[in-house]
Amino acid sequence: MKICLMSYRGNPYCGGQGIYLMYLARELVRLGHEVHAIVGPPYPFPIEGVTYHYVSNHNYFNVKDFVKPDKPFATFKPLNFYEYVASRFGIFPEIETFSIRAYEKLKELSRTHTFDIIHDNQCLGYGFLLIKKLGIPFISTIHHPLSIDRTTWFEYPSSFYLKMKRVLYYPLLMQRFVSKRMDLIVTVSHDSAREITKAFGVPLSKQRVVYNGMDSEIFYPMNGKYHKKEKNSLIFVGNVEDRKKGVMYLLKALTLTRNDVNLTIVDGGAPNRNFVPRWIDKFGLNDKITFTGKITMDRLISLYSKTQIALSPSLYEGFGFPAAEAMACELPVIAASGGALPEVIGEHMKTGYLVPPRDPQALADAIDFLIENPKLREKMGKEARKRVLHTFTWENAGREMEAVYREAIDAHS
Amino acid sequence: MPRARILGIFACVISTVLLAVFGYYAYILNDAYSISNVQKIAAETYYAVAVPVGMVTIGILSTGFWVGMTILTIKVAPPMPEIVEKKDNSKFKAFLLCLVTAALAGLFIYGVIQQYYLAIAIPATVITLVLLGMVFWVGVAIITARSTLYKEK
Repeated sequence: MKICLMSYRGNPYCGGQGIYLMYLARELVRLGHEVHAIVGPPYPFPIEGVTYHYVSNHNYFNVKDFVKPDKPFATFKPLNFYEYVASRFGIFPEIETFSIRAYEKLKELSRTHTFDIIHDNQCLGYGFLLIKKLGIPFISTIHHPLSIDRTTWFEYPSSFYLKMKRVLYYPLLMQRFVSKRMDLIVTVSHDSAREITKAFGVPLSKQRVVYNGMDSEIFYPMNGKYHKKEKNSLIFVGNVEDRKKGVMYLLKALTLTRNDVNLTIVDGGAPNRNFVPRWIDKFGLNDKITFTGKITMDRLISLYSKTQIALSPSLYEGFGFPAAEAMACELPVIAASGGALPEVIGEHMKTGYLVPPRDPQALADAIDFLIENPKLREKMGKEARKRVLHTFTWENAGREMEAVYREAIDAHS
Repeated sequence: MPRARILGIFACVISTVLLAVFGYYAYILNDAYSISNVQKIAAETYYAVAVPVGMVTIGILSTGFWVGMTILTIKVAPPMPEIVEKKDNSKFKAFLLCLVTAALAGLFIYGVIQQYYLAIAIPATVITLVLLGMVFWVGVAIITARSTLYKEK
């Protein structure tokens, strides 16, 4: 098959969608398909066998110094000007403008390429309605509906101005409108599929669940004297400013544990980190928590190997890469039963430990329980890795995606 | 002919016709430069200007109303009591936003029906000022930007 993947942000370090694109593209190449990818910045690393087509933007939403010396008047181009004006009103226009630019790029590519299928990665901009007119089977992956991000944001106290900004930020009406018009929707968990039906009105019959994979060659338990487990050590991996990660409940839980614990937070050095550090001060947890900032993959795996327990207290996850990564490194994971985490974790007390979301006392009890039961902890970690190796592989994801592509193509012809 | 092409032609024809209708009623039917009293112009001329201005105005006011309504009606789990520092009055403010935008929309529609000049002049001024302000802002950014590329580029 000749497959065209699309992702408005292609770099694996900018979030789950970049990771998804990288591994899926690699797996599809391994299966013998011709893979192209239309990507927006930050761009991905080259992968053998994947042809990238770049779609640039000026990143008006995040960049204040947006005038490029070599193209000073570029902002006056209609699409750029729209992006610029919208971003100044707190709207996130990158998704919409990427979809239109991707259409232009596809039109240009269609002179030299005949794609069998186009597969978008959670963009769902209005430009896709134009792409549909090209007459090529067109499917999209929705990792989870962004309405969940908005709802969880509203769970935390914030000003009216901030709430207004949040309402304007998420392009939910557009994604709802476009998602209902795609040939098929792929999602990464059964829970996410139900949420997509609830938020966007896409029926379950039009959705296919393909679990994400986990690179067990990268994520594996490191042994040896340099990777001895540190006593009462905990790790949390994720963006602490993302309200749906449930970090506040974790902080509260740390004030309730019987054991004296140390938490390492790996959050990629979020530039606007201010909410959580303030609460670390207020809860008096400064001596218990270490922020690593942005670290390399090797260092992350080394950290996993030195840590006793991984924590994923999310209020919601469409899949939960950090939990699966920790499991692949033989770490017992204490996870909140929010969203798809129970699907990833598996059996409670066997392959992981599940607690109700928004329950700091239950989280604290779980931490104490696993700290005080080292044998169970070790056994749980080994079972967790077995589960990941069996259920969450990119080989499986690639094969299942191939079947979805065939279904979409057959239905189209 | 493929459906997409037909839709494209349809879009081109419709937009061209609308442009012609607008141009005729706004500038040709009455000599736009000699209008001294808005009451003297034809109703069609007034609406030729009022309809596009109205669409943008109602679009903006509807967005404001929708934002307020979303904040007002969104159902979420209550926050942990420990992190509530002050009383959240955003629902009250959201109610006010809904009230103000609905009132402005009502006022605007009434003004347009009565063919008041200010009903279109005020929104047109706001829209123009915002757009010109944006252009001005870009201009300032261009003026104050680096004039040369970094060496490594």
